Amino acid sequence: MATTYLDITNEVLRELNELPLTSANFASAIGLQQFVKDAINKSIFDIANEEPQLPFLSAGLSGATDPFYGNVTVATTAGTRWYLLKAGSSSLADDYGSVDWDDFYLTTINVSGETAPYVSKGLKFINLEDWKRYYRDSENEDDANGQAYGEPVRVIKSPDSRKFGLSPIPDKEYNVHFYAFNKPTKLTAYSDTIVFPEQYSNVITSRARYYVWQFKESPQQAAFALEDHKKAMRHMKSNLMNPTPRVMTDDRRYF
Amino acid sequence: MARSQPYTVACAGGLVKSANSIDLLRTPGVARELRNFEVSIEGGYRRINGFTKFGGASATRPTGSASTINGVIPYADGVIAVAGNAIYFSQDGITWLQVNRISSVGGDNYTAFTGQAIATRTGQGQAQFALFESAGTDYGEIMIADESEDIFSFRMEGTGALNTRTFYAKEIAPNGANATVKYITSHDHHLIAAGVEDNETTVYYSVHNDPNNFSGAGAGAITISDTIVGIRGFRADLIVFCENSIHKLINIDDSQTVAIVSIAENVGCLSGYSIQEIGGDLVFLAPDGIRTVAGTARIGDVELGTVSKAIQPLLNDIARSVDNYVITSMVHRDKSQYRLFYTDTTLDVAQQRGIIGTLRPNGFEWSETRGIEVTGIGTAFNEIGVEEHYHGSTTGYVYVHDTGNSFDGSNILARFGTPDYDYGDLGTLKTLHYLKVSASAEGVVTPDVQVRFDYGSTDTPQPPNLFDLGTIDPPSLFGEAIFGTNVFGGAENPLIRIPLQGSGYSNNFTIISDDSNAPYTINGFYIDFIPSGRR
Repeated sequence: MATTYLDITNEVLRELNELPLTSANFASAIGLQQFVKDAINKSIFDIANEEPQLPFLSAGLSGATDPFYGNVTVATTAGTRWYLLKAGSSSLADDYGSVDWDDFYLTTINVSGETAPYVSKGLKFINLEDWKRYYRDSENEDDANGQAYGEPVRVIKSPDSRKFGLSPIPDKEYNVHFYAFNKPTKLTAYSDTIVFPEQYSNVITSRARYYVWQFKESPQQAAFALEDHKKAMRHMKSNLMNPTPRVMTDDRRYF
Repeated sequence: MARSQPYTVACAGGLVKSANSIDLLRTPGVARELRNFEVSIEGGYRRINGFTKFGGASATRPTGSASTINGVIPYADGVIAVAGNAIYFSQDGITWLQVNRISSVGGDNYTAFTGQAIATRTGQGQAQFALFESAGTDYGEIMIADESEDIFSFRMEGTGALNTRTFYAKEIAPNGANATVKYITSHDHHLIAAGVEDNETTVYYSVHNDPNNFSGAGAGAITISDTIVGIRGFRADLIVFCENSIHKLINIDDSQTVAIVSIAENVGCLSGYSIQEIGGDLVFLAPDGIRTVAGTARIGDVELGTVSKAIQPLLNDIARSVDNYVITSMVHRDKSQYRLFYTDTTLDVAQQRGIIGTLRPNGFEWSETRGIEVTGIGTAFNEIGVEEHYHGSTTGYVYVHDTGNSFDGSNILARFGTPDYDYGDLGTLKTLHYLKVSASAEGVVTPDVQVRFDYGSTDTPQPPNLFDLGTIDPPSLFGEAIFGTNVFGGAENPLIRIPLQGSGYSNNFTIISDDSNAPYTINGFYIDFIPSGRR
């Protein structure tokens, strides 16, 4: 059973020898109880800010479009450079929390009307400055003068972080697959569940204790709690993100 | 956890209603609520005993119906009860003998006495009693003033079955006329009467050693300028309590020098039924609280003192509505206690209230009773010298006072609330760690503890439930414990540890029990807390 907002709040309250809440009085919590509730959300945000690509924040199951392992797919349109990372999102607040810019993949597989041989390749991320310096002018001229588009080979990030751009501008429809991570949702109701696996709930509770001990003006206890949090965070990241052998990659092969 | 700190409180001082919350921070041992507890003469606060029907499960009412008991007093080997315009005697609380009859001068046997005509006691009110012991009598002669007719005198001789005894009963008119009498007492071998119908400002005294004679040599009457509301002997003097003044009658045995001397002209007495002698002083209910008439270093001098300042607000309430209450009082000598009950017969029994003052080395320490309806109460030593206490109520039953673990079968709701503790600094947040309660149980008891932070502030999370104190077993002492009854391992004064939760700048504890278990005494607390900042 998933850990609820009530469960994890009470876990912290009990650790601090404070009165636990109930489903009946959770919404009307006051004083320190409310502070702990706030500290839980703050802790979750802290953790997501520190490591936004934790697996449980994934926007979707990877490999949904086999054999591509991205969890988001965007179809391009001929002559259009910029695409919202999250379709339907109206503001940065609703966008993905993080995107793996090093893993954009372009293909014509599964595109209506396409037949073999298909286009299927990774897109190289280049920063906006390089793109402006080397490609923008020529691509814009091609677009304005002869609508001479091409097969994208690069991906760029828009300055507002809401869109990705393709270079050259696509000459037809492609599917772009990439990997995105959601922002954590602020917990409000007592029954809201924590996205963290229960095993890692101590990453949240130790961080919350850090804030409560600061509130209680006990720097020593706050330091202990912070140390607990760092250790738990390190273990979580080690377990969830770095379980595979580390390798060095020479990126120069893309040039 | 941060470094915890200890705080120890010894329960002493009793109920305090006349201090504000900041004052109380300096007196952690007192109680801001002490209901159905009494201050123990050994220290600590003890849940009071209950009461049981006189006669147990077979008890009957003296009148046979729910007539208010107007007075009750242990007499001989039984109890006299005044109720329903009659006077009754019973040895067992099951069979009652109506004794308000006029016997032959030489006494009647049982058959003759029960055949005598009833002496009417119409319009009966609260009763007062005065016992005259004399040589040659088995139990002495008891005088009864019940605001109805003359003083009624009753004497019983014989130690066998009731129907083998001899009965003497008559009426005594202090002023020679048939008039109602409210107050009587014995003083210096005289029977004193006051509150006589149409002579409410006159004190009558009988012949020395002859309570039946108010006209012979040595008898007399003195009229004063205020309505008398109570009389009581104090050392060599008779203290006369009036509505607005207090006097003393001196030299009662010398007709040449007998006189009334004023003690106070601005302090009166609210009820003659509140006057008792305890600790060598007289205590009575005055408009400003419970006062004492005490002796001073100077021979023949007395002083008036106030002993109830700690519960002044309670007594102000009594004073304001004293006409709505039936005031009764008693002294529990074994416990050095003065008990005053103020019963409003229009209220439910659970609302009936009283106060208990225990005389401790530093004076009276107070507590409250709730749920004991008393319309008449009496205490006396029985024929073997054991002090007995009885009370009656509007139920018509006579009860054995201060015995048992329930209010005649109903649970005793007892609450002892401490003041708020700031642990030395009201500005520091404290997280409670645990509480150790020093308690002495007289049987298996299971009280609970309530914790309230910051004076019960709604801005501070308050524990929704009581903390369980667990089961406290009575001690098993060598030579006293009974096999199969006592529990092995029960300590005499165990410290019960209760893990606590919550935090606040101050907090209080309330010990609560609502059951028919044995009494227990709370001796003190040890609190372990963690200072948690000054935000």
